[in-house]
Amino acid sequence: MAAYRADEEYDYLFKVVLIGDAGVGKTNLLSRFARDEFSFETKSTIGVEFATRTIHVDGKLIKAQIWDTAGQDRYRAITSAYYRGSVGALVVFDLSRRVTFENTARWLQELRSHTDPNIVVMLVGNKADLRHIRAVSVEEAQAFARKEKAFFTETSALESINVADAFTGVLTQIYHVVGRKVLAIGDDPSALPIGQTINIDMKDDRQAANKAGCC
Amino acid sequence: MLDQDLSRLYPDQEGYFQTATCQAMLRQILLLWCLIHPECGYRQGMHELLAPLLYVLHIDLQYLSHVRDEYEDCFSDEFHGVSLPEIELSSAYRFEKIMNMNTAATDKDGSVQEKSAKVTSLDELDPETKDIFLMSDAYGVEGELGVVLSEKFMEHDAYCMFDYLMNDANSVVVMAELFSPSPSIGSSTGLPPIIEASSAMYQLLSIIDSSLHSHLVELGVEPQYFALRWLRLLFGREFSLEDLLVVWDDIFSFPNLVSFPDKANESELGCRILCSPRGAFILAMAVSMLLQLRSSILATEYATACLQRLLNLPEDISVKKLIEKAKSLQSLARDTVFSCSTQGGIPGHQHGGRRGQSLSYGSSPVTPNLLSDSYWEEKWRLLHAAEELDKENCGDTVSSDMANGPLIGRFNLPRTASDPCPTDFQSENKNVGPSDTSTRVDRNHGIYRSDKVPRISATEESLCLEIEAETDYVEEHPDQDVIVKGLDVAEESRFNADNSLSTATSPHRMVNDHEYDSEDSSITSSSLIGRTCDEANSAENPCNTSIDKDENSIASSRSGQGPYSVEKHAAGLKKWKPLSGRFQWLRRFNRGYAEGNMGNRIAVEPQKSYVVADNCGSISGAPASDPCHNSYEVSRNIEDEDKNVIGTSGDPCHSSFEAHGEIEDEDKNVAGNLRGIAKAMLENIQVIESIFKQDQGLDGSKDSKSTTISGDGQAAAMAALEELRNISNFLSACDD
Repeated sequence: MAAYRADEEYDYLFKVVLIGDAGVGKTNLLSRFARDEFSFETKSTIGVEFATRTIHVDGKLIKAQIWDTAGQDRYRAITSAYYRGSVGALVVFDLSRRVTFENTARWLQELRSHTDPNIVVMLVGNKADLRHIRAVSVEEAQAFARKEKAFFTETSALESINVADAFTGVLTQIYHVVGRKVLAIGDDPSALPIGQTINIDMKDDRQAANKAGCC
Repeated sequence: MLDQDLSRLYPDQEGYFQTATCQAMLRQILLLWCLIHPECGYRQGMHELLAPLLYVLHIDLQYLSHVRDEYEDCFSDEFHGVSLPEIELSSAYRFEKIMNMNTAATDKDGSVQEKSAKVTSLDELDPETKDIFLMSDAYGVEGELGVVLSEKFMEHDAYCMFDYLMNDANSVVVMAELFSPSPSIGSSTGLPPIIEASSAMYQLLSIIDSSLHSHLVELGVEPQYFALRWLRLLFGREFSLEDLLVVWDDIFSFPNLVSFPDKANESELGCRILCSPRGAFILAMAVSMLLQLRSSILATEYATACLQRLLNLPEDISVKKLIEKAKSLQSLARDTVFSCSTQGGIPGHQHGGRRGQSLSYGSSPVTPNLLSDSYWEEKWRLLHAAEELDKENCGDTVSSDMANGPLIGRFNLPRTASDPCPTDFQSENKNVGPSDTSTRVDRNHGIYRSDKVPRISATEESLCLEIEAETDYVEEHPDQDVIVKGLDVAEESRFNADNSLSTATSPHRMVNDHEYDSEDSSITSSSLIGRTCDEANSAENPCNTSIDKDENSIASSRSGQGPYSVEKHAAGLKKWKPLSGRFQWLRRFNRGYAEGNMGNRIAVEPQKSYVVADNCGSISGAPASDPCHNSYEVSRNIEDEDKNVIGTSGDPCHSSFEAHGEIEDEDKNVAGNLRGIAKAMLENIQVIESIFKQDQGLDGSKDSKSTTISGDGQAAAMAALEELRNISNFLSACDD
């Protein structure tokens, strides 16, 4: 019993969803973060897939449950279940395909309609390694993120650029916002009710946290 | 989108799917299908349903060319004088396909058939060609083998198969629906079909393994999180392609039509998928997979970890075993259709009145979302208290005991026995005082005993052979111990069901039965032995019921021995039938349990000691059989039934009340065949001993906790064995 607990220890447990159009690299972004792996031969996600990783923030152990959703299952009764209880979201687009960037507006809309409006959101322009065919400029994406009250970063799962930073940024922000008082889970994981609404007081430091991409 | 998916199709496969021809074919088929079915459109995952179909065709084709290479002479001889032998050949195969399949009728078939008629006649003349057909068949996957073997028509065939799979009007399982976001026509729930199918799977799971179900519910693992992928792809992601084809063989071998047309309309759509044998099998397969992962799931503490396991099945999983279990669950799956139709989609156990009565408590997961851990614990404590009370006022609070029993048995057993799951319940169970422990352990016996006992009484006649065979088997597969027994139980229950009268049970009678059962259960096996030989004591009685209680019960049993017991016989027989149904359920449950908890000995171990006690019952029941075969049947039925009831009700006290009565009768008949009894006893002793020896061998591998518990059980059982031996000696001496 104790053996089970040993690697399950954490101070906070946050659920984060990965959304965005099909093929923007959500699954690889996650596998890079969770296992430091990348594969050119990733199968398309059907339904939802899961990964976890525990990180340290301010000496606290934060366990992230990351839900990697299928790009196509948008606007479904099914997907609303995926958002349930999530306190953070990464909205991913492929910066070499403009249409995926344009669709992020719809993703954000869907996300907001299913979660607490104050959920911590980060807009992620993935595939930053494809600089030669970039279709979305950093400035444009940044401006859009600002308008949507979201963080923005550019990543490359392939070259492992900014991936950990993106996740850590979201998790840190959740930690700061949520704080000890709301989500004092302690070592009893079952104490986190599914679907609990968490008031996230978004502060002005959002803008400060915005980061430019690698390019 | 489609292209993107296609390029990501089976990247780890050995290349076929990434070839240009294959990709082009897949694209064309999928595009055409989407154009014909604009209401569906392309959905991610469809390509993975099509790909295996195409792959099978491809492999067949490869094999054909292989055969053709090998028998080139034959082929050229055969088609000598025909201008385009290859086309003719493919036509021949094509023709056979039409004969066999009757599904892939395309427009081109007409012209093909003309040619093939010619070839078929040639075929009939020449046995060599037939051999080739046969070889193709022997190789193949299903009947259409040796059939589809034309590159020309491969794409057509694949399209037809795909279309049939996705969207056949007569089918129950329509894959296209599972991809559809909107509720299908006639749905009363207003939910997408995939969600309905997923919850139907959870319903099935709640019936088969309520504790696993409630664990998943407690974690907040909604079925569609993982079932969406399982079902949409027909398990395509869960197994390797090779294994997947095996699974699909079974899935597609079941008809996809509504098997209860009358029920289908009225039942909830959530259950509709269960209306066809194929749908039932698919869900049974999913449940079987869940059961396979049982211990691993129960060990998880939060949803994500659990889902990670569910979506990453261990690679060494045995597909054959999964399929076997799925088949055994299939009929149960279809039973739930009835429960759905009678209860408006609520999962339950109300399979008609009588079975419903016995299982009604098991249907608690009906409202799974409301059940928390604390709920179950509270429930358990209440029941526990009730049972304690019941023991003291034996006979008074009987019916509550009866009703509560099944729940205790079902719920407690897996929780206690299974495992690493670090819930409060577990720790509580492990830290309880000795007296408490014995009661709980006895509850475990409850279920196990019901498995074991009938086996032993069943084998009384043909004891040696069967037992030896079985012991061998058990030694080889100690882990499957319980499964083996479970199967035996099934046979036995069938046998008894055949013997039993089919008289309908009146409610009044059922009430009476409860009283009898409680009385029975208050008599311990030790008291039985004590009366028979004045030798046995509580050593063989793992539960510490006080002696005076036993005497009480015996007194009551004495007073009721005359016509009373006759009535009881009748009652027992009448009750058997519903019980046999429950028995079947128990068997399934135990199989699932056993496989989920390989190597866990806590429950299995002390059970042995119970066999001893039960065995005494069996033996003392046996004498009656010799003088009067008819009454033997009766007593045996009753006895089995009796144990059955007790076993299910989780009452720790075992009784051989009827058997005892039979002994009295037998005295009147003049003690005949005492030697036979002694022999039977001896054989039974040998059985127990053999089981024990084997168990002792396993002791080393047990963890410390189970060793201490089982140690007690073993000591008691060994003492009981000793008593048995004395009895047998005594009886032998008498006869002389």
